[in-house]
Amino acid sequence: MKDRFKIFLLPVSSIVFGIFLLMLTVFLIASLPIFEKEGLSIYTTNVWKAVEGGEEFYGVLSAIYGSVYTSVVALIIALPLSIGFAVFVIDYVPAKFKEILIILTDIMAGLPTILYGIWGAFVLVPILRDYVMKPLYDHLSFVPLFSYPPTTGYSYLSAGVLLAIMVTPFASAIIREAYRMIPRVYREGVYALGLTRYEATKVLVGYIKPAIVAGTLLAFGRAVGETVAVSLVVGNTFNIHPSLFAPGYTISSLIANQFGNAFIYRYMPSALFASGLALFVIGLIVNVLGLMVLRRWRYA
Amino acid sequence: MKRFAVLVALAITISLLGCQQKPQKSEIIIYGSGATFPLPQIEKWIDDYEKLHPNVKIEYEGKGSGAGQNDFEKGLVDFAGTDPPVSEDLWKRLEKRGQPLQFPEIVGAVVVVYNVPGVDNLKLDGETLAKIFMGDIEYWDDQAIKALNPNAKLPHEKIIVVHRADSSGTTQIFTTYLCLVSKDFEKRVGSGKIVDWPVDKMGRGLGGKGNTGVVEILKSTKYSIAYTELAYALRENLKMVALKNRAGNFVMANETTIKSAVKAVKAKIPPPDQGYRENLRELLNAEGKDSYPIVAFSHILIWKSYPKEKAKAIRDFFTWVLTEGQKREHIVEGYVGLPKEVAEIGLNAVKSIEEK
Amino acid sequence: MLRKIKEKLFLLGITIATVLTILPLFHIILSVILNGLPVLLERGLAFLTDTVAPPGDGLGGIGPAIVGTFVLTFLASLMGLPIAILTGIFSAEYPNSLIGRATKTLLMIMMEFPTILVGLFVMDIMVIPMGRYSAVAGALALAIVMMPYVAVYTEQALREIPRIYREGAFALGLSRAIVVFRILMGMARKGILTGVLIGIAKVAGETAPLLFTAGGSYRVYFAGLDRPIGAIPLLIYDLVQQPYENYHQIAWGASLVLMLIFLAIFLPIRLSIKEVKM
Repeated sequence: MKDRFKIFLLPVSSIVFGIFLLMLTVFLIASLPIFEKEGLSIYTTNVWKAVEGGEEFYGVLSAIYGSVYTSVVALIIALPLSIGFAVFVIDYVPAKFKEILIILTDIMAGLPTILYGIWGAFVLVPILRDYVMKPLYDHLSFVPLFSYPPTTGYSYLSAGVLLAIMVTPFASAIIREAYRMIPRVYREGVYALGLTRYEATKVLVGYIKPAIVAGTLLAFGRAVGETVAVSLVVGNTFNIHPSLFAPGYTISSLIANQFGNAFIYRYMPSALFASGLALFVIGLIVNVLGLMVLRRWRYA
Repeated sequence: MKRFAVLVALAITISLLGCQQKPQKSEIIIYGSGATFPLPQIEKWIDDYEKLHPNVKIEYEGKGSGAGQNDFEKGLVDFAGTDPPVSEDLWKRLEKRGQPLQFPEIVGAVVVVYNVPGVDNLKLDGETLAKIFMGDIEYWDDQAIKALNPNAKLPHEKIIVVHRADSSGTTQIFTTYLCLVSKDFEKRVGSGKIVDWPVDKMGRGLGGKGNTGVVEILKSTKYSIAYTELAYALRENLKMVALKNRAGNFVMANETTIKSAVKAVKAKIPPPDQGYRENLRELLNAEGKDSYPIVAFSHILIWKSYPKEKAKAIRDFFTWVLTEGQKREHIVEGYVGLPKEVAEIGLNAVKSIEEK
Repeated sequence: MLRKIKEKLFLLGITIATVLTILPLFHIILSVILNGLPVLLERGLAFLTDTVAPPGDGLGGIGPAIVGTFVLTFLASLMGLPIAILTGIFSAEYPNSLIGRATKTLLMIMMEFPTILVGLFVMDIMVIPMGRYSAVAGALALAIVMMPYVAVYTEQALREIPRIYREGAFALGLSRAIVVFRILMGMARKGILTGVLIGIAKVAGETAPLLFTAGGSYRVYFAGLDRPIGAIPLLIYDLVQQPYENYHQIAWGASLVLMLIFLAIFLPIRLSIKEVKM
């Protein structure tokens, strides 16, 4: 028997596929002019030469660099926090507070990102600048990471810290779920060995390593695509600098800042779509990998 | 349950719309976007005008000259505010959609501001300024700066150059001026709404978004120098540089020096239907012993023909702006009203608006 | 001895991690209240209905943005919910078919998709051809962001229904459509409603998809579906980047309003179920 129900549902669910494919197509087509003009230089150079009716050239390397840099900084901070939080909530908190703590992180994961943005720009950046960047720069400016004068505070570090705050609840939710699902036998076995809490936790955390990897990848995907909060704190400067304190761009903040005036230039819209395509691909790879790791582990 | 939620949402939406939106039949909305430089002035005009004409709503979003021209070309707005005149390239594209008109509506100035504790009344000439913004002059106590300011206590600190990071008319006006006064700058950097600042690559350049962003950075960064619009400098009480004008005098931007410059260049402003012929280079570094060298005209970009209702509303609004609006009580501090002859240029354009 | 020290350090470490994870939330809430409440108190209800004041001169209100957020969220729900719920049903009903599995994977990917790209996409296919920013364009972008959330929740809610009900219904000779729409949907309604509300809470706070689609509005409440419209997050993003002190104050006030709207939708859902995904 033909399943009429399936035939009825199929077109509707294929709309989702349609949107996704259309999106990919639009980005590819809109990027073509810049690929034809510059080839891959759009991704390998750091130039932003916008001239009306003259010779234009665009290279978005600084934005790709900034996206990766800020997301990596975010994860370096977020990873230990989210593992620590997961372990603490599952193993050490009385049931009463456990629920409260989890609700709080759920609120954080869902909070409109613009609230992180306004807080980041007006509250976090001045704090980081005065109490973290300035002392480090004053005493350790010979270290390349601290070598840029923290004048405004808008920097890779500010963006990284803000992103870390935003993705920690998300990453820790994945890790927490995995940690809770560790079979009871296993858990009891570890303690039966007479290990201290630290040693036992180390073993248990080792057991959920794939979930941690997945959480890291998915959190990276989230960080790399975040737009408004980052664009308010990253400094928006075409810059490739090793220092944490230097201002830079990210792909999404580049688009947010430049797209509004792009169309008076011949190639700028195309250059921005090409940078969007890069974000599209990075996001896709990271998320697919993350989901694959998570799924394989769950069904293993 | 779901239907219930949707109904609630619907009810809320409708009641909200109902209580706040009592649309009068004759209400007309005019959309505009563009330059941030005249934003406070345009907002003031809109506010004053809407009080007199409650059936007209004018929505102007300040997001930069580039974005304004962009929105205007794409038909997203009815008028645009732009500091630099429209390029020939864009003008030709606009003509394919209809006759564009461009006219100045207010004057201001681009000023050089600095944040160096203990140094006041800084004087600079064009060439030194260009060298600072190219990064050639690294320290505040450089010989070139000392020579112009023999009495100032200049510190041996690196100069931090703050510039706009977004596409901006202010940048175009400022870089065009630097090109006029420094061949080297013209060769190495050039002029435009966005330029590749060499000083960025030396690690001494910082980009801010909008005049705001630039001013914020300047205020929080010691030993920095920046360019911004006069109105912002006045509001934030920033220290301004006295620039050497064509006649060789050091002048600060104020009503007298700006008016003097406008008078010297008014013949160079083309008729509104040939806006692209306005050459920024001819409007800068004006003659006259009192003239401030970087005077900035802000322009309005409109179409010659609009649908019936809109044509009238736009004609009425800009007629008011160019006559009543130029009176002192409607002008915000930091801007200078147009001399009558210059306002005439715009009035002619506005009179010629037709109904489609 | 060393073991003991390690143990102590470990406990200290995870406690600190927990505190650091949660602390920013309190700081954010406190900052938003401390900066926003005075604005709301000063203006009272007028803050919710008036239009934004001119730069450097008073506060005015955020009426157009509030109206815009309601209109956009409502329109986005109208566009996105039917498709999302049906897609969720599809992947719940056919979990083993190739398309069913692919749908599920795609939904998970789209949940994490950078939302600015959705905005860019809608700008290209809708704003430019139409020649103006509009409420529909903004709503379409939000609908695309909302769909995967609602679909995934629907799917999960349906999958959680014990098989026995489904089999019983089939045994009565009911057709699949009737089983799903009459029986299973009814049983899963709480889960589906949760998904719908999560989707609404999500898009009501979104900024990036609206940047190049909705257009924004300071003075006009609502001029038509094909006209530019405001939104609270968009307004905050704009105002934060302006140099005027009064605009920053309005932005804080608007942030408080946005936070309250979000918590008003989110907290009741969160308290009524165990787990959310956002």
